[in-house]
Amino acid sequence: MPTVRDLRDRIRSLKNTQQITKAMKQVAAAKIRRAEALQKQSRPYADAIGAMLRDLIANVGAVDHPFMKPGREGVPGGVIVMTADKGLAGSFNGNLIRAAEVHAREHADLAWYSIGIKGRNALRRQRGEMLQFWPLAQGDMFANARDLAERVTVDFVGGKIGTLTLISPKLVNMMTQRPEVRQLLPITADEPNGEKTGGSVEFEPSPEFVLGRLLPKYLEFTLYSAMLETNASFYAAQLIAMNNATDNAKKLIDENTVEMNKARQAAITKEILEIVGGAEALAG
Amino acid sequence: MANAIPFQLITPLSVKFDGQAELVIAVGTEGEVGILPSHAPYLTALRPGVLRANVQGTGGATERLELACGEGFLQALPGKVTILADAALSRDEIDIPQAREDLQAAQDEQKAAGGDLAAWRRAQAKIDFANARLSVAGLNPGH
Repeated sequence: MPTVRDLRDRIRSLKNTQQITKAMKQVAAAKIRRAEALQKQSRPYADAIGAMLRDLIANVGAVDHPFMKPGREGVPGGVIVMTADKGLAGSFNGNLIRAAEVHAREHADLAWYSIGIKGRNALRRQRGEMLQFWPLAQGDMFANARDLAERVTVDFVGGKIGTLTLISPKLVNMMTQRPEVRQLLPITADEPNGEKTGGSVEFEPSPEFVLGRLLPKYLEFTLYSAMLETNASFYAAQLIAMNNATDNAKKLIDENTVEMNKARQAAITKEILEIVGGAEALAG
Repeated sequence: MANAIPFQLITPLSVKFDGQAELVIAVGTEGEVGILPSHAPYLTALRPGVLRANVQGTGGATERLELACGEGFLQALPGKVTILADAALSRDEIDIPQAREDLQAAQDEQKAAGGDLAAWRRAQAKIDFANARLSVAGLNPGH
């Protein structure tokens, strides 16, 4: 049976934990607003570049660009895994790593790229893979996205990888983030619903050249926006994890407080009984 | 009031400009391009450089817009001009020491590129962007 002092210490430590989780929850709430704002600000660019690409493909027809042709056979498939740099976000990183594991079981030969420290560490530990790595939220996110895009472009065009798959979280809503697996390369032109401007569009210097510039930019931006979404999802997951942790701490504090009060009452009762017993013995 | 066309300048970080333009001059990969209202449908790639535009400010008065832009694209459609750029910085957003530093670093990078044409081109793009920033900041009159 724990003593009053033990329980008091335990409650104090729980209160400290609760303060920390509460602070982290507030920080996450502030950061998610910032992350969501960045995401929102990038949307016009996403819409515009997507529209340009569709217009271009609709006007050009068959396109001769390495990104739009099947990659080389018999080489590893490239996989980009995006996770957060830090933990304390419930099963957020674990779910992504599990999705990567599932993908690895289904596909034999893979080459890994990683955004986010957690993903890199897990893949190194579990698979012993050497991989190319960039942090998610350190330094200039757009520059990191560009570096990654450049790396995978060189590898894909150079025939080191045959396809490129992205595993990243999708922020369904604040409560739900789901790992999503999608193929980035080769790009499949499944949306030929661009504005056919009647073949009168003038391309300078040529449609192929512009497309050759636009496709890498599109890849770069796709990766950047996936990183933004990963970042926002991470803070959403952390917000919920820290909210739960704060609630749990509160519950434990309440339980322990009740127990402490009982223990204190028991001690008082015992003392009174002892005094009464002693008095009776003297009177007897 | 002069003839104008809706003009949007969009970067991944924000919509930098959204309004009416009378003239847009950007640096294309093949040289400077000037777009006036009712330009034929047109799409080109831009290299880093100084974007100039005459836009309509509040009250319809013509204002001069001058921004240092990164790589991007310009699309002129009937009734709309859109520019996508990696970055677009106005005069007061430019960090001059940083631009100088970037210029130096990019020049060194280009020297080190040797025969690697792709690396040489990447370095050139960085040089162009640094020069554009210095030029918009009122320095580097050569550009």
